[in-house]
Amino acid sequence: MAETVSGTARRAPRVPRPSVSGALVAAVVLVALLVPALVPLDEQAVDLGARLRPPSWSHPFGTDEVGRDLLLRCVYGLRVSLLVGVVAAFAATVVGTAVGALAGALGGWADRVVMRVVDLCSSVPHLLLGIFVVAMFRPGVWPVIVSVAFTHWLSTARIVRAEVLSLRSRPYIDAAVAGGSSRWRVTVRHLLPGVLPQAGLAAVLMVPHAIWHESALSFLGLGLPTHQASLGNMVQAARGSLLAGDWWPTLFPGLFIIVPTLAVAGLAATWRDRLNPRRRSEPTL
Amino acid sequence: MTTRSPEAPEAPGTPGGRAAGEPVLSVRGLSVRFRMRTGGDVAAVTDATFDVWPGECLALIGESGCGKSVLASALLGLLPANARTVGQALLAGPGGGPGDGLDLLAADERTLARTVRGRRIGLVPQSPAAHLTPVRTVRSQLHETLRELTGVWKAGIGKAGTGKAGSRKSGSRKAGLREAGEAAAARAAFPADHLDRHPHELSGGLAQRAATALALVGDAPLLLADEPTTGLDRDLVDRTADELRRHADAGHALLMITHDLAAAERIADRVAVMYAGRIVEIADATTFFGTRGPRHPYARGLLDALPERAFTPIPGMPPELGDLPPGCAFAARCPKATDACGTVPSPADGVACHHAEEDRTCSN
Amino acid sequence: MLELSRITAGYERRAPVVRDVSLSVAAGEAVGLLGPSGCGKSTLARVAALLHRPYSGTVVIDGSPAHGWRHRAPREQRTAFGVVFQQPRLSADPRMRLADLIAEPLRATGRREEAGGRVDELARRVGLSAELLRRRPHEVSDGQLQRACLARALVLRPRWLICDEMTAMLDASTTAALVAVVEEYREETGAGLLTVGHDRTLLGRWCDRTVRWEDLAGAAVTPTAD
Repeated sequence: MAETVSGTARRAPRVPRPSVSGALVAAVVLVALLVPALVPLDEQAVDLGARLRPPSWSHPFGTDEVGRDLLLRCVYGLRVSLLVGVVAAFAATVVGTAVGALAGALGGWADRVVMRVVDLCSSVPHLLLGIFVVAMFRPGVWPVIVSVAFTHWLSTARIVRAEVLSLRSRPYIDAAVAGGSSRWRVTVRHLLPGVLPQAGLAAVLMVPHAIWHESALSFLGLGLPTHQASLGNMVQAARGSLLAGDWWPTLFPGLFIIVPTLAVAGLAATWRDRLNPRRRSEPTL
Repeated sequence: MTTRSPEAPEAPGTPGGRAAGEPVLSVRGLSVRFRMRTGGDVAAVTDATFDVWPGECLALIGESGCGKSVLASALLGLLPANARTVGQALLAGPGGGPGDGLDLLAADERTLARTVRGRRIGLVPQSPAAHLTPVRTVRSQLHETLRELTGVWKAGIGKAGTGKAGSRKSGSRKAGLREAGEAAAARAAFPADHLDRHPHELSGGLAQRAATALALVGDAPLLLADEPTTGLDRDLVDRTADELRRHADAGHALLMITHDLAAAERIADRVAVMYAGRIVEIADATTFFGTRGPRHPYARGLLDALPERAFTPIPGMPPELGDLPPGCAFAARCPKATDACGTVPSPADGVACHHAEEDRTCSN
Repeated sequence: MLELSRITAGYERRAPVVRDVSLSVAAGEAVGLLGPSGCGKSTLARVAALLHRPYSGTVVIDGSPAHGWRHRAPREQRTAFGVVFQQPRLSADPRMRLADLIAEPLRATGRREEAGGRVDELARRVGLSAELLRRRPHEVSDGQLQRACLARALVLRPRWLICDEMTAMLDASTTAALVAVVEEYREETGAGLLTVGHDRTLLGRWCDRTVRWEDLAGAAVTPTAD
């Protein structure tokens, strides 16, 4: 194949296409950012006269067992989930990339020690480890973020290390070594830029995980304080009313957990496909 | 030469004794354009016209990026979606009769997949190691190809295991398949005791033979070899080339795409030289590589660059296929260029050049 | 003088691909190492360029023995070598423009200010236009990319050139052009050359001396000249 042709042909299919997941993610973010700013209502306002009302015009998602508006609480819960998801995923990616790149670039016993620590941490179930971390602090958003980040950097470290190892054996790294590049320069200038797309993808894929983790911790009563709107808290609190046949306090927070996580996962999948060079159409003859 | 070959099927170099009434492949005015997102067009192949006859080897030579591989992709219908083709590539029918010829450029994917690739055109791939499935033995890949390409065994598979009679029957079919597999391997000189090995257990030469055996299973009249010698060392190049030659001698038409001039010299009957998407010269191989040499200045330069000859490069680099000059694409690098080269030379007598060397070999 | 003595190297200690091989290249000499693919000659070339640590054996560069390989080798020793590999696609960082690719060794060794002039000079030598220098590897052909890789190998003015199947992927004209650039550079600087390949004709034409791999393997004596 003519290299110049395939070179330009390769760029041709990369036309950004509006995707369903992309639109959903945008909508979710807009709702979480704008609604609390534009709607001057208190999500913690209790109205004991309107307890467990089913969905209606005044309360589209209904009310919970102390009469708080579920739509408003879902939106505030979404804010918390997104905050935890994004910040924790970012922190976990930074830590994981640093550790993975270090292990991969140094190699030898440093690599072995680091990866055994990673293996050890991975052998404990995430949630258990996460509970351990949260239990050391007072309930709040930050302990949850720390807990999620602490349990999620491991997979990123693995991905980044594997990627660094495969890049390290490329002739262009040899050429850089022969050209007098220091270890640091090789890592920063050739290895890290090569793994960033993978690390970025891992970060996006991690956001849904982090959201679920936060919800699970809150559901277990270990996450945010119970008065604060959190999707996990809400599902937990709704268990009693679900048994009584009141479905809305469970359904809507549940949907608010599921829809954004699926949308983000879908977006990440599109990105992964685009990163994967084997899926690019090009004549290979 | 091709342009006048209809009246000269027994061209010098075409193995004699084979009464070839019709070319296996007849390409007329084939052009391939890639439409780029940026709006420009890349002229990968322009106005290619040539024939390949049964029993002969036509070597398509040119440097990487000249469009020769795109031409192969076009013949197999493997071009990406942003490519457009013009012209005709007539593949002679199985009976050789004029009635069942197929225009490869007009055929739909289904026809190409079901009746052409493997059955009427066998592809000898560039890197056999990548062409073979790494997790399966050579034998199982041969069997699969046999089942796929020769319908007899396919029926047996569906019935296998339906009662005693069925299993006995399938047993004999299995033996038949085994036999056919070994015969197919033998045709490509692949040793039978290596059939149960996986591709990574084979040397480069044996992997190439395994891939060739797969290409030969369908007994396609046309073999298309795409850079079959890239990355092989000289001895292996010679052996691979000689084997391809044997298949041409056995009656296949062989179109070999290569940048390896030594391999082309070794086995080709005729040589087609491609530059910047155009075939600039088609010549008899013995004349081309012999004392008379090529007639197009580019082909002369290419041969002069060989270490066994002058070892001097052609100055400059080939133009971009997306940004071709209006006239002769070689003019900028050509020692003979004049004002006349501002127009594209039309091929005459096998050469497309305003200043072609005299055709002293022309006897008719 | 580049002296490799009794080198044993490979990727698995139990099955080294290079066993007890010795080879020396005199200052300014061009030696071609001829062998079939997969025989270990590329590994030997990597050992010589201080890119692969051998299990045993010594490498002496202009009188000073090598004590470390890759990053453990002192920078002056590493940069005494210019290395060109077989596959230009894999030898170029896909994110760098050709101009940056060629200038990278200068930047890495703190000689940034020389970059502009040196890149222009080398680009002219290998025949790359200013327009091509602005492109990234996927936008140029194999031949053009290998020209850039050769320019990168020459940018630090190495005393030794190691070419590992440099022209195996290239057409005849580009091969002749790149060999001419290498020879021009060697004439100017007196640099020595170890080139590895499988094309007898090419190495015979290019080098002062051609050594066959079969004659090297297992023999600790000075290689037989061809």
